[in-house]
This record gives sequence, structure tokens and C-alpha cells, in this order.
Amino acid sequence: MSHKIEFILNGKSVCINTNANRRLLDILREEFQLTGTKEGCSIGECGACTVLMNNKAVNSCLVLAGQVNGSEILTIEGVAKNGLHKLQENFLMAGAIQCGFCTPGVIMSSYALLLENSNPTEEEIKEAIAGNLCRCTGYKQIIKAIKDTIS
Amino acid sequence: MSKKFSIVGKEVIRQDGYAKVTGSAKFADDIIFTDMLFGVMVRTHVVHALIKNIDFSAIENNPALTTIITAEDIPGAKKVGPIKKDQPVFCYDKVVTSGDVLAMLVGKDESELRKLVDNVKIEYNELPVVTDPENALNDNTPLIHPENKTNLINHYPLLKGDVKKGFAESDYVIERRYTTSYQEHAYIEPETVIAYPFEGNNGIKVIGSIQNPYTARRVVSEVMGIPLADVRIEQAELGGSFGGKDDTMNILAARAAVAALKTGQPIKIKFGREESIIESYKRHPYRLNYKVGFNSDGKIKAMKIDILADGGAYASMSPFATWRTVVQATGPYEIENVETNVNAVYTNNPYTGAMRGFGSPQPIFAQESLMDEIAAELNISPLKVRTINGFKAGSITASGQKLDEHEVSFNKVLEKAGAESCFNVKWNKYRKENNKIDGNFIIKEKQKSNNFILNENQFIDPENTWRRGIGLSVSFRGCSLGAEGIDAVTAYLSLQPDGSIHLSCGLAENGQGLRTTFSIIVSEVLGIPIEDVHYLNLDTGHNSDSGPTVASRSTLMGGGAVQNASSILKERLKKVFYKYWNINKDCNLIFNSGLITYGNGNKKITFKELCSLAYNDDSNMSTLGLYAGPKVDWDEESGQGNAYFTYVYGCQVAEVSVNISTGEVYVNKVIAVHDAGTVINLLGSEGQVYGGVTQGAGFCLWEELNSEEGKIKELNFDQYLIPTCKDIDEIKPFFVEGNEKYGPWGAKSLGEPTLELTSAAIANAIFNATGVRYRNLPINLEEIILLRKLRPDNLKRGSA
Amino acid sequence: MIPDLEYIRAIDLNDTLKILDVKNGKVKVLAGGTDIITGLQQGFSRFAKIYKLLDIAQLNELKSISINEDSFEIGAGLTFSEIIANNNIATAYPLLVKAASTIGSVQIRNRATIGGNIINNAPCADSLSPLLVYDASVRIQSNKGAKEVLLKDFLSEAYRTNLEQNEIVTHIILPKILKTYIGDFYKLGRRRGVAISRLSLTVLIKCEKQIIEDLRIAGGAVTPVAMRFTNIEEMGIGKKVSNKLLISLSQEIGRKVLKVTGLRWSSAYKLPVVQQSLYQLLVNVCKKLNGTNVA
Repeated sequence: MSHKIEFILNGKSVCINTNANRRLLDILREEFQLTGTKEGCSIGECGACTVLMNNKAVNSCLVLAGQVNGSEILTIEGVAKNGLHKLQENFLMAGAIQCGFCTPGVIMSSYALLLENSNPTEEEIKEAIAGNLCRCTGYKQIIKAIKDTIS
Repeated sequence: MSKKFSIVGKEVIRQDGYAKVTGSAKFADDIIFTDMLFGVMVRTHVVHALIKNIDFSAIENNPALTTIITAEDIPGAKKVGPIKKDQPVFCYDKVVTSGDVLAMLVGKDESELRKLVDNVKIEYNELPVVTDPENALNDNTPLIHPENKTNLINHYPLLKGDVKKGFAESDYVIERRYTTSYQEHAYIEPETVIAYPFEGNNGIKVIGSIQNPYTARRVVSEVMGIPLADVRIEQAELGGSFGGKDDTMNILAARAAVAALKTGQPIKIKFGREESIIESYKRHPYRLNYKVGFNSDGKIKAMKIDILADGGAYASMSPFATWRTVVQATGPYEIENVETNVNAVYTNNPYTGAMRGFGSPQPIFAQESLMDEIAAELNISPLKVRTINGFKAGSITASGQKLDEHEVSFNKVLEKAGAESCFNVKWNKYRKENNKIDGNFIIKEKQKSNNFILNENQFIDPENTWRRGIGLSVSFRGCSLGAEGIDAVTAYLSLQPDGSIHLSCGLAENGQGLRTTFSIIVSEVLGIPIEDVHYLNLDTGHNSDSGPTVASRSTLMGGGAVQNASSILKERLKKVFYKYWNINKDCNLIFNSGLITYGNGNKKITFKELCSLAYNDDSNMSTLGLYAGPKVDWDEESGQGNAYFTYVYGCQVAEVSVNISTGEVYVNKVIAVHDAGTVINLLGSEGQVYGGVTQGAGFCLWEELNSEEGKIKELNFDQYLIPTCKDIDEIKPFFVEGNEKYGPWGAKSLGEPTLELTSAAIANAIFNATGVRYRNLPINLEEIILLRKLRPDNLKRGSA
Repeated sequence: MIPDLEYIRAIDLNDTLKILDVKNGKVKVLAGGTDIITGLQQGFSRFAKIYKLLDIAQLNELKSISINEDSFEIGAGLTFSEIIANNNIATAYPLLVKAASTIGSVQIRNRATIGGNIINNAPCADSLSPLLVYDASVRIQSNKGAKEVLLKDFLSEAYRTNLEQNEIVTHIILPKILKTYIGDFYKLGRRRGVAISRLSLTVLIKCEKQIIEDLRIAGGAVTPVAMRFTNIEEMGIGKKVSNKLLISLSQEIGRKVLKVTGLRWSSAYKLPVVQQSLYQLLVNVCKKLNGTNVA
């Protein structure tokens, strides 16, 4: 059964018809070619598919199409406006990227944190990205990048 | 640092960083073709069986199905493998492990195809499942590959001196057994590949998350029965590999290629996480028996080592990985008498192959635990026992190699790590504090008689439950492939008339930052901004086969090739400069900040202008650089030879907290001191250390795969627990940069040394904290409290 | 892979109850989806045969928090993030908030609801032991009306509750707790970040002149269903706090868990560790009592 889904995607109103069993992740990647949002585990454990839904970080693999209706979604593609966001810049500067597969998800989690808390402690930073698995970096340079964005 | 560089050794931002922070980097699954079909695997339900029949009749006419691919569709080799050709692309006569694939369903809608998989009826004649590698070589054990007539994959002996005599002369002889578990690579990007036929079906193009494009090309060419030049492999952005996107990816590339040529359409294969864990290979579980003889002054006299590696169902890289084991099993210590035997055997377990460290993390865990056990026997410090036995310039290794061609920085790394961590002070302090515990918190099996109800005196006050400890480990590691393979790399460099540059290399970006490292080298040699170096993605059609991107060889070998190419073009540019300024002899030109200067600076020209001049002068603007490793040798019978042309040294110190009531281990700090030679990119090098230490800690403490009757139980990240950002507090990298004649300005290897040391350092720290020697990885909650593994019978999510 | 299914978004609570009242037995209520969608994705048998999802996540009626004279009513549709962020809940029920902040990751807590955690009733559900200690009830509504059931009676067996097909849980009711109670929540996981509980314990204690006037203990992931250890509580009430007492209470939890679960593969580890963990939790809590000497 096809559902009509309307929502705001990276600041623009969009509307699609889609099946109920499709996930927000599938919609972003397949309907809108927003492939910066990645699929790593499909069960909400790795955080590679993290996007903002109404300003909160969520795993887009755990959001069904119908649940997206009426919401506001921000993906990695919507983060840079008139040049890179400060977080993105600091990820570059701090060497917080290796293979880069987890990077969009980690940036989205960090972005959500900074929306809520402009001056988080190191513990709060770790808590915010604990749901984002990274196998390359050992996280140290990621934490530094987020810290650098605050100060 | 004595070496003077303009960019080498600085913190340099990744070349591919912009694409990665904006989400525009294209990983394989991000690439879409309009008429693309999907391939979905039909997997075995059993572990070991003869295939009687595969019946597709229930799905044959399903509209979702375009075609079915089986072994019958393969025009060329039906079995492949890097060393032994024992792994079928599609199983046709036999299944030997739980990840085996019998067929691939092809169609437009991936999810529709997945629904059909269960309707394929497969009839088997089941065979007994071989799960214990200790039984693999018994006479009555079924053969995994009957054509081999044995379950032995390989046996490496090594003999130096006379161990019998050595033990007889020793004051002490102790024997210890250690075991290690599987480790899954757990790259966050699951395997994905796309293949499509070239126009008119003349050859095949494959794009994928492929670690070693040239190996993939060879496999596709063999399977398709077409020349290497008819296969082009292009690497997509690679979402992590760590040695893991080799054999599995090559076979996926071949499956996609077969289907692409059959249908004439692009085929994408995309694994989910569970499929990835089921089908991909792991790090070898090892059983390691060490017997060591030593004197009361701490000098080791003899060592006898027996190691058994579970190769699983396919040989894969077992012969190479276990060869590194035999070379390095005695650690960085000069021992007169050594006898080592390393066996890799077939079982029906998931197959094992290359993973970062490659046959070294397991023996280092054992060997470096053993060094601390010797120190404990003699009541001397862990630093002392290592200093007494450690390699010095001119030492002879177990394989008889004299270490006189490179700087032997064993003492340098040990001293640095000892000083940075205040090792002796802390080690003594913790030992005193923890003396009384001495393992009395361990719950013994005999407590079953009172249903594990604790005695009054077993209750631990919360203030005493967290114990601190510090431990260290040291290693030496042979750089690059050693006597295991052909070792030469090429790099392509091309000057554009406007001074911008194209660079590419036959080695592949795996996420480790190779593009940036290589660009730095060009920038350093030609004195130009790194932004002017444009790295071309690896396409096997544009470069020459440079072997695999493994063995921490890219900076050393690939960097050498890039440096060579840069120097060749520099020489050509010099000639153009001479001509322009009418200089008649070779002289000293300075290439710096985009400017080429002669003498006191009155003769100069910008790099851009010089390139333009060169172009207009009909110069050859492009070149291939080559770097070939010096000759190494190995005698298979005696295990003697110059195994690697150079070595790196590292020392890690771990500080841990152990909760002796619950078994939790927390890693407070790891100090990682590495002599990787000259550091090219500081930012990237530090990243290698952080990442390697974290994976090493995971290997030691949390990562566990249980293969029950050959089937893996932990199929996703809810159960296979890799470290999060909250699990390790502090990691401090130090680079001591010893002198080295090979590699670009003496840059050597770093990626793997960072991982291989961590588990032993942590285990030694746990001993310091608890007085208990844990010899079986992973040292998880149950292992700490029970000194044994608990095997669950139900691993369902959330089971109590 | 998520199977084909029908998705219905409830307009309001009445609409929800009407839909549930249609007796086809195949409608599954969906809130945050962190259990259901992962379960569907992994093909778990308890999520097989789900054809219709009824989404209630957006219903404001399920997101209300009301503070009454003698109780708090917390909407079952509140996410754990919303619960953590609420100062009133944090002040009144700090152990619930402490437990909530250990659940999953931020991404999970932004979706997962407290009602969902109760309905899913996983053995390792972290919100249950504090709720049990707070004597929580659930308000259940159907087209026929509303009722309140004590949480301990509502949880039937692992992954099951006594909820009928036509009912939903709208609120969790927490009786007010005197300020003189102190307590703590403890969770043990295999790693520090985003861990599934190996065990969790909640303790709440009220003491007067070192005499235990009230004691409440509940555990998660040690028994198939999170439960209150009333026999241990009774052993402690009326007694003077002493190290000996805390040890005997802790030994008792080992006996009780064994009685409930029988000897299983994990007993050799879990039984000693649950005793040790309870002991340490009790010692730490008692240390916060003025002048109590438990050494």
C-alpha cells in the first residue's frame, strides 16, 4: 500500500508516495539520492544512518516512512551552508576522518548535541556520539574536533 | 627531529576529507546505474555436506527473477584463492562452512529477491562437522577438502641452536598455553560491488569496496576465463577494510561479473551486516604453547613454541599470515635455541585470513604475557627482563637474520615508553596495593556445590573493588611482505601545463590516508602546495599491478615509488630550468613554495611557469616511479633466512582498572611508542595509533565470536561488541623516528604495529591489578571472574 | 529486511482505541519502533505475522506529565530523552532518570518510549527495575474504559505482558516518594558505551536512626522478568543497618535468583556478581545515610 508522505528535507518541503515498510534511510538514499546517510547495521547499533528528525538525532534505519510524515529532516547534505559548517571544518583539521563511512553519522550526532548544548563537557560529547561506531579512528580526533568547535 | 622538511611530518589535512565530511564521497552502494540488477545469495543451511540437489522450481517463474547464477554459469575457474585454489565462487559439489553460497538470484528488486531465497530447496548429504582444530589432523577426522588428502593447510618449522641443550642449561623451565579468539574486521561499510559489461560484452568493469583491486582483477579474470586486460577494477571509496575486503570482495566481484556478462546489465551485490559477518573471513583463533628456559639472571636460554591456527574452511591467507607468526613468534628477543612449529589447519569453522596485524597479535599476546610470567617467576621488573633479552644492533633473530641493516630501536622505544608512563614506579605501587587480592576473588567451579552463594569473606567493599594496574609489551615487526611475496610498487605522476599534478599509485586507499601521504611526498620533493596534487582513484586500467595494499607497506613501498616518480620529474624540470637560464652544468636548485631558485635568488621561476615551459618544450610530462624491495630469502625446511629487509619496533604501556566484583576492565590509558621511521603525516600517523590501539583493546577485552557447530552466533553489532568512544579513556602516541635507509626519507610501517601490542599490554596490566594471569582472549567479564569462558546456549537479543 | 505491512497513523487516542477494537488480532501498536523495527528487520519470531502497525508516537495524549497530590502521571509515549530532560521527573524519581540515561544511545533514547520499554518487557529492559521500586502502575485504556494495574502484576513473562489486544498503556503512575528515601541504580554492561544490561539493580531505602523502615530492591536481566525481591526487602525491614545484614541480604538475592531461573550457563557468573553488586549498591546507599556505619 502506497502512502503519501510530506515532510521538510534539508529546509525544503517535499512529498513522495512510498510503501509503508520503507525506512527513512531508504527514502533518503533512493528517492532523494542523499547517499551521505549510510547503512551499516540496519538495527540501530552503528549510527552510520544518523540524521536529525525534528532537531533530534535518530537512526534513520529505525524510522518507517509513515513516521516521517510532517517532520523536519536534516541530513549531512544539509549541514554545509555557504561553505562548510564549523564542525565539518574541525573534523578535517583534527584528522577525525579515516575511511569516512561513519563520518556523516558522527557529524549529525555532534550537530544535534550542539543544537541542544552549546558548551558540552567531554563526557557529554562522548555520550552524544557513543551510538556512532567508528572502526578506524579510535574516536580521539573526533572528540577533539567537537571540542574545537565549542571553543 | 633532525630531519628538515617543509611539509613531511606536519599535520596535514586529508585530501579526501571534504567529500567525506559533506557526504558527497561515493562509496560503492552510493553508485547507481539506471538498468541495474541486484544479486542476492542463496546460502547453505548446513555446515558440512555433499550437495545432492538444488531445486529452483518454486521460484523459477517468479516475475521478480531475471536469472539464477550457479557454478554452471562460470566460464573459467570454479574455485579461487590467493594461495590454494580451494574456495568455490558458487558451491557445486560440497558445502564446507556456514557462509557458503550455492547460487545467486538476480533481479530488479532486491527485497523481492530476498523473499524468494527460502523457497529454493536444497538437498544435502550431511557430513560430520569439524569444529575443533586440535582434532583436524586426527586419522578419523573427515577431510574438509578430500582432494588435498589432509586437513593440514601448512606447517612451518623453525630451528635455531639446540633447544634440548638450552633447556638443560636453564635454571628455570616453564610451560604456558595461551589462546586467542576470532576477530571480525567490523568495517562499518558492509561489502558492496557493482559489475557491468563493456560495450559489446568485451570485458568487464567492476567498481566496489575492494581492498586490493589487482587481486580482484586476477580472480575475476580467472573466473571469467578472460585476459587480465579485459577486466578493469575501480575502487570506490572504501568504508574500512583492515585486511578484510580481500578474498570476500574478490569472490563477490567474480559473482557480479558472471551475472553481468550473462544478463548484459550492471549487477550490484550489497551485503547486510549479518551476511557480512556470516560470509567474510576473520582473524585466526590461535592455540599457543610456549616452553621457555631461562636463568636466574633473567637471560632466556631456550624457547620451544607450538602454534595451531584454525584456518577454517578455506586456506585463504593462512600460509602467509602464519608465516609471519613463525618469523616473529619469539618476539624481539635474542634467544640462542629456538624450535618453533606453526600449523594451520582446515576445519568447518568460518574461514580465517588477513586482518590488520596478520599473524602477529596472537603470538605477541602469548610471548609478551610470557615475558611478564618470567619476570614474575624471578621477581624482577617487566622492563628488566626485556632489557636483558631484547634485540640490539647486530642481534641474530630466531630465523638467523643479523639485524645490522637498520637501526634496532628496541631499547629506544622501551625506554621512552617506560619514562613516559613512569612504569616502574606505578608498577611497584600497584603491585603493593594489590598484593593481598592475588586472585582470591575468582569464583571456583567448586562453589557450584553451594549454588554460588558467596561466603561472608568474599564480599568486597565498593571502595576496594576497582584495582589499578599497568603493563607493557614490546614487538618487532618485519616491514612489507617479506619472503612471502613479490614486492614492488609503481606510482604515476603527471605534470599539467599549469603546474597542477595528477598522482596515482598501484596501491589502494583503504581509508588509512594513503592519498594524503603520497601527495605530501610529491609536495615535499617538488616544493609545491599539496593542494596542487590531485590524486586519481585507483583503476587497474591506469596503473600497473603493485601487489596488495597490505602488510603496512604503502608508505614504505608506495611512498618510495611516489618519491621516485617525483624525483624523475624534478630532474626533467631542472633541465628545462637550465635551458631557460642558460646554465650549462648541473647545479643546486631549490624547489620551495612553488618557486625554483638558483644561487642567491637572482635566477628563479615559478613552478607553474616551469611546467608551462616544459610542456611547450615537448618534454615528457609524465612518469612512472618504481620502488622494489631488496631481496629477502627463506628456507622452508629450517625456517632460517633473512625474512624481511627491515623491521619496526614499538612498545605500548596500558593502564587499566579492573572491577574484581564484576569483571569489568576499563582502559584508562595507553601510551604507544612506535619507531615507524620518519613520520610523513603526523595527523594520519596519530590516527593510525588511536585506531589500532582501539582495535587491539577490542581484541583483548570485548570482541568475541562464538562458532557453535560451525555457525557464528554474533551476527550484528548488538552482540559483536566493538569499542565505542566511551571504552578507552586516553591514548598517547609517541614517535621516536629511528634512522632507516629504505622508504621515503626512511619512512616505514605503522598501521599494524599499533594493533598488535595492545592485548598483551592490557593482559599484563590486568595481572598487575589482580595477581591473576589471564591466558585466554577475550578477557571478558566472565573470564575475569571465573578464569574460564562461559559458552551461552542462547544468544538472542536481550536474553538473561 | 522489513516485510510488507500496512501502516496506520492514529489521529488521537479515541481513534487508536477504535482501531484496536476491531478484532483482527493483527494490529501491532508502534511507538518509537526501536524494538519492533529491529525485530522485524532481524526476522525475530515474536514479530512474525505482523501485518499492520498502528503508530501512536505522535499522540499528545500519551505525552502528558501531570503532577498530582500523591502521584506523578507520566505519558507512556514519552521518549527516554524527554524523560531525562524533565526536571520534575528528575527531582522526584532520580533513579528512573538515571536508568533512562543508560538505555541505548542518544539516537535510541530519542525514539524509544517508556511505554514501549514496558510493553516489550525484555529481561534487560532498564527502566523496569526503578519503576518497580517506585511501585509504579500502568493506566490501561480500551474502548470499554480505563483501569490501573500495578506494574509488577502487569509484566507476565519475558517479552509478554497482560495487555489485551484492544488495550493500550496510556500512562505510568508513580506514587510520590518521601524525601527521606535514598537509593541508587546500578547497571553492568559488557562495555561502557551503549551496553545491553548484563544486570541492573535498583535499591530504595528509608532509615530512621539506622533502623530500616522501608527497603525496596528490584533487578533487571537477572531473572526472565524484572522483579521486586520482596522476601529480601522483608528480611531487612525493621533491622538495624550493619555489614552483616547487608551481606545476608545480598546472599539472599543469589538464592532467590537461582530459585527463579534454576542453574543455567550463566549462573556461575551471574549469581556471584548479582550478590556482589547488590552488596556494593547497599553499602554505597547506606553510606549516604547519616552516621550509618556499615564497615
